[in-house]
Amino acid sequence: MGSGINMLCFSACYAIALALEVSGLWARMRAARIALLVSAIAGLAAHSWYLVHRVTEMPEAPLASQQDWYILAAWVLAILYLILKLYYSRSSMGLFFLPAVLALIGISRFATQTPLTSFQAPRVWGQVHGVLLMVGTVAVLVGFLAGLMYLIQSYRLKHKMPPGRYLKLPSLEWLEKANSQSLGIATLFVGGGFFTGVLSRLASQGEQNFVPWTDPVVVSLAAMFVWLVVAEVFRLIYPAARQGQKVAYLTIAAILFLTLVLSVVTWRDSLHMGAEIDNPDEPTQSQKTAVSTSAHTSPPTNNGGPA
Amino acid sequence: MNLQMVGCTHRDAGIDIRQQLAFDSSQTLDALSQWQSRFPDAELVLLSTCNRVELYAVGIPSTDELIHALLDYHQVPADQVEGQLQTLSDSEVVSYLYRVASSLESMVVGEPQILAQVKQAYQSAQEVGSTGPLLHDLFQSALRTAKRVTGETSLHKHRVSIPSVAISDLASCVFETFDNKHALVIGAGEMADETLRYLRDAGDAHIHVINRDKQRGQQLAEKWNGQYHPWEDLWEQLTAADLTISTTAATEPIVTAADFEYKVAPGRYQRPLFILDLAVPRDFDSDVGNSLGVYLYSLDDLALACDQNRAARAAELPSAEKIVDQETERFLAEMHHRATAPVITGLRQGFERPKNAELERLFKKLPNLDDPSRKEIEQFADRLVNKMLHPPLESLRDASQNGTPHGLLDALRRLFKLEN
Repeated sequence: MGSGINMLCFSACYAIALALEVSGLWARMRAARIALLVSAIAGLAAHSWYLVHRVTEMPEAPLASQQDWYILAAWVLAILYLILKLYYSRSSMGLFFLPAVLALIGISRFATQTPLTSFQAPRVWGQVHGVLLMVGTVAVLVGFLAGLMYLIQSYRLKHKMPPGRYLKLPSLEWLEKANSQSLGIATLFVGGGFFTGVLSRLASQGEQNFVPWTDPVVVSLAAMFVWLVVAEVFRLIYPAARQGQKVAYLTIAAILFLTLVLSVVTWRDSLHMGAEIDNPDEPTQSQKTAVSTSAHTSPPTNNGGPA
Repeated sequence: MNLQMVGCTHRDAGIDIRQQLAFDSSQTLDALSQWQSRFPDAELVLLSTCNRVELYAVGIPSTDELIHALLDYHQVPADQVEGQLQTLSDSEVVSYLYRVASSLESMVVGEPQILAQVKQAYQSAQEVGSTGPLLHDLFQSALRTAKRVTGETSLHKHRVSIPSVAISDLASCVFETFDNKHALVIGAGEMADETLRYLRDAGDAHIHVINRDKQRGQQLAEKWNGQYHPWEDLWEQLTAADLTISTTAATEPIVTAADFEYKVAPGRYQRPLFILDLAVPRDFDSDVGNSLGVYLYSLDDLALACDQNRAARAAELPSAEKIVDQETERFLAEMHHRATAPVITGLRQGFERPKNAELERLFKKLPNLDDPSRKEIEQFADRLVNKMLHPPLESLRDASQNGTPHGLLDALRRLFKLEN
């Protein structure tokens, strides 16, 4: 990046914050807590600056490419983490949130920088589609992390393990609430993302004006949406699934579908590669910009796009 | 300093002696007034709690007089308390009061009430007017030391009583807030009452009491602004409860796993239920804890958590002791340095007088000096005096680190002909 801030900067900050969270499992010192907060804030500031710089260089960003999409999702998750850290300063939630943030940034390095707007649909549909799916993804991730923390906290209480002196987790009540709300939000946004994707396809012109229902991206996203709807309906009509471990299991299962969708989108996406298909030998202007702006920040990626 | 302390604590004196010597708040004020008339030049503070009765004093001619003053108020014969009274003087008093205020001398190390009690003791003495500059400084620094111990160590963070661990450490892992939670109390024993005190401090839970003895159940419910239910409502109440505290004297479990499975679980839909079984023998069959959403803690489980917290507190003790040592050293150095103040003042005056006389003589001889030159000469004289005073003052400061330097003070007085 021309700003001098690249992915390594904010990844390193988050990694330091994570290392400090891990060290907190053995000893909790005030100085370490402050250093953790400073690292996380520095990471978020660098992350935000990176995104702002992307937008100034390329108006389609921060949803211009798969890589941008992942980095934006990581940014939203990092903001959530920081808010929770400020609210529950002594909790160990960073042990769960920061690896997820780093994982999203890590995946982004394997994701393509090819512009996502591959077909001639109104641009707004594409943007709405991307934002809704990004929020849905973050909600599934938060639900998964809350579910994981719920199961650990519940296990500790069931087995009469002493209240964590160093591993401090929120109460079961809070985790259950976060869990069920995430499931509801994920269902809504993933559904919205799916349908806006379909609509944007139908609103596009020319040969792109159809929905490829058998495409792996469409199939996996539809499967995840169906699972979320089923889980939400199950939660609403079956009282035992509204609380306790069942809702945690439901959100943990949702992460499997999310992993499937993200894997397919990252490695087998043919839906969003229209720009290349249209002109395979000639990169678009936005593609050129994407490559030039991140040339020294990212390893060589499959700019040519998957088959 | 002539600082003394006489008293008895849970360590050396039995409860009968402590009770005989105890002072309630009105007696404290009365006793301090009486002692003040007996020792008009003394400074006095009386600290009386369930575990200690201690009289701190400055300016009492002898320890025996202080002991008699303490015993005479309640007319306790001296031979009755023989070997059970503790007497301390000067630096021992400073260190001891810091330890008391920091809860290092408490029966339950780290308990937070003692700090408020020390504060209250000092305020009572202030009310009567029996404090003075030395006890003021001592008690203020004791409160500061206690705050340092609280802030810089986690001695007070580990709870050690069963009800406090149950509510603050464990139930808070289940519930984000206790407001509007359905808290069911089975039995109306002391432990239930004590646990409800912590529960009420933690939030505004709806308290429901079930007890075989209606009168006692109603009394407990009324005390905590709760609702009494007859014994027959047990299953219904258990189904509705979020938190259950059971403390009956039943010899057999009142809730078996089968009871819970057939009469309670179906209506709960796996909603989390936190059960504190504080009864001996148990009120809840231990298999109840295997049900989904049920977190069952018996007295043994809680005792284990308390022991772990006690061990954690013990690990914090060296840090707390270090703070007490630092503060004691600081206070004593300040006190010793304060004892040198008259000599320092005398020395300064002894140098200032000839300086001013010589300057006056010089300015008379040189009447045409302009203002800047006069100022320069005055500054020269000031610098010279300060530089000449610096070595003896520094020696005094260094020597007062380890106590009042009587020898050095005497030598300075004689060398510079300072008045006593």
